[in-house]
Amino acid sequence: MPLHDVGYRGWQGTTRQGLAAGVIATTGIRLAWKSRWLRRVMIFAWSPAIIFAGGFFAFEQAVDDASKGGGFSEAGRLDGFGMIGSLVAESLGGNLDDPDQARRLVWSRLLLAFMRAPQAVLLAVVVGLVAPKLIAGDLRAKAWLVYFARPVSRGDYILGKVGVLAAIVCLVTLLPALALWVLGVLVSPSAWVAVATWDLPLRIIVAAAAVTIPTVLLALAYSSLTAESRIAAFAWFATWIACWITHGALTGADMAARGRPEVASLQAAFGDDGFDDGPPAFRRGSRSQRRLGWLAQAAGIDRTTDRWAWLSLFHAQGVVQAWIFGIEKRFTAAIPSLITLVTVTVGSLVVLFLRVDAPTRT
Amino acid sequence: MTGTAADATPPVQLQNVTKRYGRRTVLDDVSFDVPPGITGLVGPNGAGKSTLVRAILGLVRLARGSVRVHGLDPARVPRRVRAMTGVVPEDDATVPGLSGVEMVQYAARLCGMPATEGLRRSHEVLDWCDAGQERYRAIETLSVGMKQKVAFAAAIVHDPAIVILDEPTNGLDPLERRAMLGRLVSLARDHGKTILVSTHVLRDVQSICDRLVLLVRGRVQLAGQLADLTGSDTTSMRLRGTGQLADLVGRLATRGIAARLAHDGDGLIVEAGEAAAIREVWAEALGAGVTVWSLEPERRPLEEVFLAALAAADAGEAQHATA
Repeated sequence: MPLHDVGYRGWQGTTRQGLAAGVIATTGIRLAWKSRWLRRVMIFAWSPAIIFAGGFFAFEQAVDDASKGGGFSEAGRLDGFGMIGSLVAESLGGNLDDPDQARRLVWSRLLLAFMRAPQAVLLAVVVGLVAPKLIAGDLRAKAWLVYFARPVSRGDYILGKVGVLAAIVCLVTLLPALALWVLGVLVSPSAWVAVATWDLPLRIIVAAAAVTIPTVLLALAYSSLTAESRIAAFAWFATWIACWITHGALTGADMAARGRPEVASLQAAFGDDGFDDGPPAFRRGSRSQRRLGWLAQAAGIDRTTDRWAWLSLFHAQGVVQAWIFGIEKRFTAAIPSLITLVTVTVGSLVVLFLRVDAPTRT
Repeated sequence: MTGTAADATPPVQLQNVTKRYGRRTVLDDVSFDVPPGITGLVGPNGAGKSTLVRAILGLVRLARGSVRVHGLDPARVPRRVRAMTGVVPEDDATVPGLSGVEMVQYAARLCGMPATEGLRRSHEVLDWCDAGQERYRAIETLSVGMKQKVAFAAAIVHDPAIVILDEPTNGLDPLERRAMLGRLVSLARDHGKTILVSTHVLRDVQSICDRLVLLVRGRVQLAGQLADLTGSDTTSMRLRGTGQLADLVGRLATRGIAARLAHDGDGLIVEAGEAAAIREVWAEALGAGVTVWSLEPERRPLEEVFLAALAAADAGEAQHATA
């Protein structure tokens, strides 16, 4: 008999209902974090933030240098980080003669580029590692009885699982983006920059939500459709790749039909209504624009490539995020992508509500 | 938490419960009560036992009929019903990656217990279940018996008024099996719990259950006190004692009382139901020098009752088909 065996005793404590989702989420995060692969990918997922942090630092260095003598337009006079910063500003369409205006634009575009280019791809990998097991694993281990034989509703269960994935997704997208903003404020010449860019953290949160909600729900919906997590993982990656390829093929076909190479389309895009005014250097097709063209593309400057964005979750999210950051100013341009995200969200929710407790009904 | 043996109405009441999956009727007009104590739910595979348990938990929508758990309708207030119920499923039903004690604590927290109190209570019930240090191992690495203990501890950690167990002795060695049955008896008798045990092991039912419900093809074929079901139609007595039992058989034969040594080697079976005959058995036992430990009505083996009920169900089915 164990030393502390006091036999069975009744329990008269107070229970608090309605916290099940939180319990499921915290336990799920703890279990997911046990995966060595996830920890490695997470470290890797933060590494792009270092590069973008360099961008913020260089830009602020350029602002500082310029304030000491000379302007942005005299990039030739700047050295080291200041030079790189001026190139970044120039490439991202910053108004070189107005530091405050340039900061808002460059920061927005850097943040958008950060959330779009490396993080959205890494997010797909992280979600692909974690999500398939979340519900499929429960179905396989028949763990649904652990939940539904207790005071846990379908909503609690789904919310808990969403919480697990959302927390991990936010670690990849939201937190590093917010950290970049904080870093930008810290390396800027004045603390008032935080006040001047107060809306950026809010935009980051909304943009992260635009990525997180449909992505997480779609991944969980796949997970709920099978007890084999491998199949769910395959479906997840296949969807991303297929959408990407479809989007790329259609966009390529458009370009070929118009007979315009990509760089030319970028140039054309800059002069269009609804976009921030691009820098003169960009219109000229300068060397810096060519070097940092990928950044401009990720930052949502090139709208001609977004015609088929609604077909791909990744690209649809990009368009919506560009609209959230104020880079895409036309709401109508974001509507097809918004519809895609809403459709994915609603469809995934329907699947989840139908599937998560399906075994209890058979 | 809720519900005591003192309540007048049975904790679980099922009235005309009918459940269909498409055209297939899984539960057909099932009505019975589960009073405090231990009720055995037996039946062949596919009889509808699992569906019945799900109906009690409010997990399935009924085509007809009603279920009441302490007066509550599980279809309307499933959370409240599940909060007062603990379930040990037949399958593992565990969360891979958690240790035994974490699994029990997880169950406690899902029921709304605070984390620290849930952990304290988890250790308390695991101690009672004699889980030892195995509780700290990952659940997927535990033996079947240990998993069963963890599942049982997870079911009772929030001190439910009603405990439902599906094959609770599956995979347990004889010692563990006996210990598990002892815990169920203790919960029922010492703590006033209402226990519903769904099992195929009739020996377990006979040894611990007060009541029996036999489900065949979704219908209640037999329901009642176990003592009534296994002893009502017999006039035999079982005599247990020491001494020359074979001699006693011969002496009883001269008095015109049929007797035989029990097949299981546990005493004599005497065909004597009336009081006069019983007095004669006592007298002859004394004469033969047999020390009588007990003389009690012989119960029919539950297996016999079970098979007879199945045969009756088959006959009824055939008659229905012919008609």
